Amino acid sequence: MRMRSLWAIPAAAVLAAVFLVTAPATPRAQETTENQFTTTLDIRMGQRLFRQQCSRCHGRDGDGGELGPALTNGFSSTSTDAGLFSIVREGIPNTQMIGISRTATDQSVWMVVSYLNSLNDTGAVDLPGDPAAGQMVFSGKGNCSSCHMVNGEGGRRGPDLSRVGDRRDPDELASDLRTPDEDVLPRWWTLRITRGDGSVVEGLRMSEDTFTMRIMDENEDLWSFSKGGVRSHERITTSTMPSVNALLTNAEVDDLIAYLHQLRREES
Amino acid sequence: MKRLAIIPAIAAIALPAAGQETGSRTGDAPSLSPVTWERLLNAADEPENWLMYSGTLDAQRYSRLDQIHNRNVGGLELKWAYQIPQLDRAETVPLVVDGVMFITEAPSNVVAVDAATGRQYWRYDHPLPDDLRICCGRNNRGVAILGETLYMSTLDAHLVAIDARSGNLVWDAETADHRSGYSKTAAPLVVKDQVVTGVAGGEYGIRGFIDSYDAASGEQVWRAWTIPGPDHPDNQTWAGDSWRTGGSSSWITGAYDPDLDIVYWGTGNPGPDWNGDVRLGDNLYSDSAMAINGATGQLEWYFQFTPHDVHDWDAIQVPILADLTMDGEERKVMMWANRNAFFYTIDRVTGEFLLGKPYAKQTWAVGLDSNGRPIRAPNTAPTPEGTLVSPPVGGGTNWFSPAYSPRTELFYVQAYDGEDIFYKRDEEYVEGDQFTGGGSQRPLPADHYHSAIRAIDPRTGDVRWEYAIQPRSTAGVMTTAGDLVFSGSVDGYFYALDAVSGDELWYMNVGSRVHSAPITYAVDGQQYVTIAAGNVVFTFGLRD
Repeated sequence: MRMRSLWAIPAAAVLAAVFLVTAPATPRAQETTENQFTTTLDIRMGQRLFRQQCSRCHGRDGDGGELGPALTNGFSSTSTDAGLFSIVREGIPNTQMIGISRTATDQSVWMVVSYLNSLNDTGAVDLPGDPAAGQMVFSGKGNCSSCHMVNGEGGRRGPDLSRVGDRRDPDELASDLRTPDEDVLPRWWTLRITRGDGSVVEGLRMSEDTFTMRIMDENEDLWSFSKGGVRSHERITTSTMPSVNALLTNAEVDDLIAYLHQLRREES
Repeated sequence: MKRLAIIPAIAAIALPAAGQETGSRTGDAPSLSPVTWERLLNAADEPENWLMYSGTLDAQRYSRLDQIHNRNVGGLELKWAYQIPQLDRAETVPLVVDGVMFITEAPSNVVAVDAATGRQYWRYDHPLPDDLRICCGRNNRGVAILGETLYMSTLDAHLVAIDARSGNLVWDAETADHRSGYSKTAAPLVVKDQVVTGVAGGEYGIRGFIDSYDAASGEQVWRAWTIPGPDHPDNQTWAGDSWRTGGSSSWITGAYDPDLDIVYWGTGNPGPDWNGDVRLGDNLYSDSAMAINGATGQLEWYFQFTPHDVHDWDAIQVPILADLTMDGEERKVMMWANRNAFFYTIDRVTGEFLLGKPYAKQTWAVGLDSNGRPIRAPNTAPTPEGTLVSPPVGGGTNWFSPAYSPRTELFYVQAYDGEDIFYKRDEEYVEGDQFTGGGSQRPLPADHYHSAIRAIDPRTGDVRWEYAIQPRSTAGVMTTAGDLVFSGSVDGYFYALDAVSGDELWYMNVGSRVHSAPITYAVDGQQYVTIAAGNVVFTFGLRD
């Protein structure tokens, strides 16, 4: 299985640097840096061990939990299989992340590595659509680029799609395009805020906490509010993106999916 | 000796002289004097100090200090911050003794600082092996003090005694073998000349206990098993040999009634957590309140909140003791907002169930019977395919401390209305490995749910008011004679509410999750409020 580099954010890179500097010697990990346990059965065995020993913090399917981050959107603390092995085996010093059971064999740890990679492997596959045509749809008829940025070009009112192929498989992309109101991430909800004078402003929910909220309105202006300083606020949990069903033909949707699918790190 | 005079409940503390620098120390008198058992018994009478984990033996987390009150709390400002040199989240509840603050740090360290400036006197770093078995982070929640000695639990399941003036190690007692899955995270509780302490490891198939050690020597005085052995009839509540690996840990600090000489302590989930097939029966005394004779360690009574738990709903909450008039009768009660989302008022002399009501969203029980035993709703047990149940694995509340104000006669708790999909799987016990038999998954992003501070009337179980916190909070609560309720949130706030009305009075962005509980104290006539957030300890006070 191929391991892609999946640096998430600069802060995570710093954490990774800290880890690389301070990680204790891991003789067992250094014996081999090649994962020999990558079969489907290995992944299932890794999943079993993950659910037993890792799921309490990282969630049953690695989606994240109260104590640990999601492991389905890349790994913030390493970019290699050997690094993953080391973290699973030893933990990350001076953090909540502890290593796996001492009784686990190296083979078992590699199986967990394979399982973790499987959570992030959307794998390049052959698709019916034409990526070049899809790119035209993206910036043309589909009007996607008015809200979505790809490699620094486009709008800001939707997720940056420069690496969307790394995190969403073609079926998920199809679902995103055809039924955008399903499973809208809270970051892309809308907040409709009524000020004390009765005027209303609404925008994408960039963040909200117990006492305050921040939005980006349709002009891409940023606003910040204290909840105590406004008359009311309302959450709208549907997507601001229209379904492509009424806008594009099936062939155009296939082209768009093919284009989005090849937006991934190693091809940039 | 620099103890302040005992402060009457209503009297305000004198403000510092005009022009005095914030947190300045004149050096007129030395800090720290021995903390006798008498002082611990009467800790409420010296509110300038915070002498034990829950403030007082009845664990009310109520302070008589009222210099900061519901009309001036808006003027709170930061006085100092202490940065813990570890990235782990801080769950510490510091102690303050005559101007010295004792802060525990991950993994099992303690530092003494000047309580007015946050500047260090000394530190003790406990050496740890590299093969710890800990389910949920490298946590330590605080120390206890008696005389001039601090007592601290460590992650390798030791109890250590540390000299409070120098940080030198006095004694080090191994309470259990960490390689079998035992660890210790909770602040001990001093009872007379003994140190009572619990143990963690409910996810590792331990057999839980509550111990008492001689404060001077470190010798064990008694051990109360939280799972009775085969010579006791309650052992029959465990199928076969399942009692040997049944968990029932004791990882949060209890309370003590000196008149009854009873220690009250909560116990954790039976193990494996989510697969009850291998441990059929009620699984006593898991998920229970245990009332233990302070001198002998004998069980006086128990109350099991969740018989045969299959959702990991530990009764690991701090019991709060108070004397209430209920239906015209004076009652010595114990109040308990349980992880299973029910609030209970229990007679703490007899263990009699007085009342119980849900205080957070729950779908697992249709109610409680006349003895307080839950009447389960059908189809709520974990399955291989998953079963959606409220409360979630983290519970309606959890280990973070509630509080009680004798002024408002209300019980304040950080409550959570959530849900989880619970899964069951087969699992073999392997000593030292996790032994959970399943797992859980939240079905929706955290932003779909919220917490709330809820004020509960312990006479009725009714929620008098609530203040919503989002998305979830795991912070403890404190209340004061200034009619304030202080708490924190996962979204990085420290805040004060009106204890009577629940109105929002003040909040401060402290920049990171709050997993600790506030304390308050006074030095040189100034009241301070302290909270740990992220890995920083913040102390606030009014402007001089």
